[in-house]
Amino acid sequence: MSALGVIVAVLSVAVAAAVGVYIAAWVDIVLARAVAGVAVRPLEALVAPLSWGAAAALKARTTTERPDAETWALAPALLAALAAVGLAAVPLAPGLLAADVANGIVLFGAAMALVVVAVFLQGWSPNSPLPMIGGYRFIAEGLSYEIPLAVVLIAAALPARSLAIAPIVLSQENLWNVVRQPLGLPLYLMAALGLAFWGPLALPEGEDLAGGSSLEVSGVSRILWRIAQLMILVAVSAMGAAVFLGGWLGPLLPGAAWMIAKTLVLLVLLVGARHLVARVPTERYVIASWAILIPLSLLDVFIAGIQALVAAR
Amino acid sequence: MGLTATIARLAASAPARCFPLVGAQAEEVAPWLRLDPLLAIVDSPRAADVLLVLGRSDDEMLRAAAAVHDAMSPPRGVVVWSPDGVAPGRWPSSDAVIVREPGEIALTCRRLRDDLLGRRVTSSPDVLPDLDPAPWRGVGPFGQGGTGMTGGVPYGRPLAGRADDRDGLKLDQMLVRVGPFLPPFPPGLQLDVKLQGDVIQEVTIPAAIADAAGSSGGEAPLGAPGPRGHAARLAVAGDSPFTAALTRPVPIAELELPRARHHLAWLAEALRVSGLEAYGLRVLKLAFGLDLESADSIDALDRWLRRNVSLRWGTSHVGVVTGAQAEGLPGGPVVRASGDDRDARSLDPAYQRLGFEPVVRDEGDALARWRLRVAEARQSLQLAKRSGTSESTPSGVAEGPRGPLAADASPSAGLVALLPELLAGMEWGDAVTTIVSLDVGVVEPSEQRAAAGAGPS
Amino acid sequence: MQGVAVTLAIFFVTIAAFLVLRSAERRLSPRTSTAPARVPFTGGRSPDTHAWNRYHVRYYPMSLLFLAFDMEMVFMYPWAVVFVDEGLIALIEMFMFIVILLFGILYTWRERALEWA
Repeated sequence: MSALGVIVAVLSVAVAAAVGVYIAAWVDIVLARAVAGVAVRPLEALVAPLSWGAAAALKARTTTERPDAETWALAPALLAALAAVGLAAVPLAPGLLAADVANGIVLFGAAMALVVVAVFLQGWSPNSPLPMIGGYRFIAEGLSYEIPLAVVLIAAALPARSLAIAPIVLSQENLWNVVRQPLGLPLYLMAALGLAFWGPLALPEGEDLAGGSSLEVSGVSRILWRIAQLMILVAVSAMGAAVFLGGWLGPLLPGAAWMIAKTLVLLVLLVGARHLVARVPTERYVIASWAILIPLSLLDVFIAGIQALVAAR
Repeated sequence: MGLTATIARLAASAPARCFPLVGAQAEEVAPWLRLDPLLAIVDSPRAADVLLVLGRSDDEMLRAAAAVHDAMSPPRGVVVWSPDGVAPGRWPSSDAVIVREPGEIALTCRRLRDDLLGRRVTSSPDVLPDLDPAPWRGVGPFGQGGTGMTGGVPYGRPLAGRADDRDGLKLDQMLVRVGPFLPPFPPGLQLDVKLQGDVIQEVTIPAAIADAAGSSGGEAPLGAPGPRGHAARLAVAGDSPFTAALTRPVPIAELELPRARHHLAWLAEALRVSGLEAYGLRVLKLAFGLDLESADSIDALDRWLRRNVSLRWGTSHVGVVTGAQAEGLPGGPVVRASGDDRDARSLDPAYQRLGFEPVVRDEGDALARWRLRVAEARQSLQLAKRSGTSESTPSGVAEGPRGPLAADASPSAGLVALLPELLAGMEWGDAVTTIVSLDVGVVEPSEQRAAAGAGPS
Repeated sequence: MQGVAVTLAIFFVTIAAFLVLRSAERRLSPRTSTAPARVPFTGGRSPDTHAWNRYHVRYYPMSLLFLAFDMEMVFMYPWAVVFVDEGLIALIEMFMFIVILLFGILYTWRERALEWA
């Protein structure tokens, strides 16, 4: 255990998060233009996240009559910290792992479970009706995607007999988990959209709440919240790439390049879902998640269990 | 300061973020602003650089407009567009930039934003006085205005009180004063929504903006109030082909193309509220460039809508308007989506010669209204193409895109009066889907008052 | 040990970084706070009461069901690690556990407790 090692790990996660967030923002703008049928101009769009961020940064911070100032300040920071911890649990290549814990899946699950707290605080703290409705709605959504998320990751851990991510990647040497556990990746992506409250699952920030939990936010806090949200997207994409798409495994290119490529594939998929899938109705989503998605995820575990037993014979 | 200057230079290439206050005559202008790359229309005044005041506003609306203006975070500016060219008044002790041509709105907003960034123009100061909603400083045993456990006015406002609920629990009931300018709701519509959790228990339509605290004495911040009432509004919007069709023959193509354009612009907004903002822009572009040859594009749009399961999930069985409720409405797509085939065009011999049959659906839910409007847009294009030069027959009634227009009745008035019974018991998201699917349009204060008087509760 | 230290370091450094960035607002933009600017926005009218209230969380039956499944998740984590070594019997036991909980979902769904109260 060395201080230098810790510092290198922290900086590498910061760099990975920053690059990932910028790419996610750029992809969002490019895909929005493509779906809207306007000129895409991808190179000109490279500066767009910076200019949008700059325009938001120059606004003054507004407050409300009686907010909870501490939790309002803490919410974006907490969301980003949880995303950073989730990203740190994912190995870039064999041996290149920031948070080298024995159970990366559990660490990831723990970090993602607290996302509900961060988003709820963002909605509840301003003491304003519409953001508060958004915050409470997100708890309903959060409790509903949490179980499929955890169960599907456990199913991926079964063939590896370990809760650490590196063995899970290595267990996919012959066949990626997306093929031998077909229910896994779709359920994981649906839960990932909920974790990042993005696209179809953008319930706390929906247009029906006029921006919801971000309604009362202005200034730098607005960008910080957005950055934290995109960090979550990056973290879940990286985890999905490692656990379902075989991580660093692949011919010719070095492992890190494969890992980055697969993360980008999932990132583009998740970001694009926003422009093609409408927002779900809250109550019906909760019912569908419990009545359909959770039994499917338990079926996924069962299938993975049988496969693991057969393979062990 | 070097840092601020650099950031300002970066920010100059971002679109100007505007919060629009849509008044009576601005309905022809407001929807198309989203297409302009110079602007970005935002949902919250806190995120906006420029307050865009479009069309005339009544005195009561000006009070709310002042509140919205003060909610914007500085640096902020105001751009006013007035269609009849009469110079509106000015914000007290600051300048609002006045625009006469709708085509110049976007550029003016962008220039104002750039000036604000570059500190060439000062941010617009508060309009309303800096008064606490109720005196609380130093009041009460804790110095914050509260008394007892939950009484008094801590920090200036009371706490919510309890009320019964449908599942037997007696928790707090929140009253949300949905004001005239909350984005997914029709501009000008005011509702007092009583919520427990996120289910609406009761909706009442207030007669006027009831805001006792800090009344804005003195002159109205924004010029003379506009014409009151639906009849007067019709008189001003004289260039609308539907109002013209009340009294003289108008070529059918000139009636049907604007109708299709209106329905598609509505669809774009409905898609945006459903979360599909980019696809909504695509539809808006289609609407803007709509001509007689666009039938294929509308077919493609209809196919995409039918295939998109997520849209169906959000709108199916939501906001059902029963046949009985539809009978009380004057007409329009809402009525036709509930099984009633009333359409003023059926009585017009010119339309009958073209073989016109009103599009009718009988589910009555939000999805039916969506599908119906797309089908009507398609039908309108077909009619326009087939009509050649034939003209409509003037009678006292013309079928506008929202319903029958007459000199004394607005198609949307009945819809607003229907809201209390329609929205009770609905979750907030479903309620917004319902309201958007009704396509109410801008609600004048006189219409608001009439609806308040008409409601039984 | 290294992993735990790195995790905690990342967590607290990120929080600190974001709080520092947030305070940078003071340098960039004017800070005014007047009463009309602070009114929670609901479209232009001022609210009746504070928003904080005894909010009717209508999904409370679902949250009870979530607790049950959360405990199942807790047991599934170590089970996943030792599962293959324990063989078929481990699969059957977990399967029984899951089926009991699935009956719970079935009951909840039929009683319409998942719908908004």
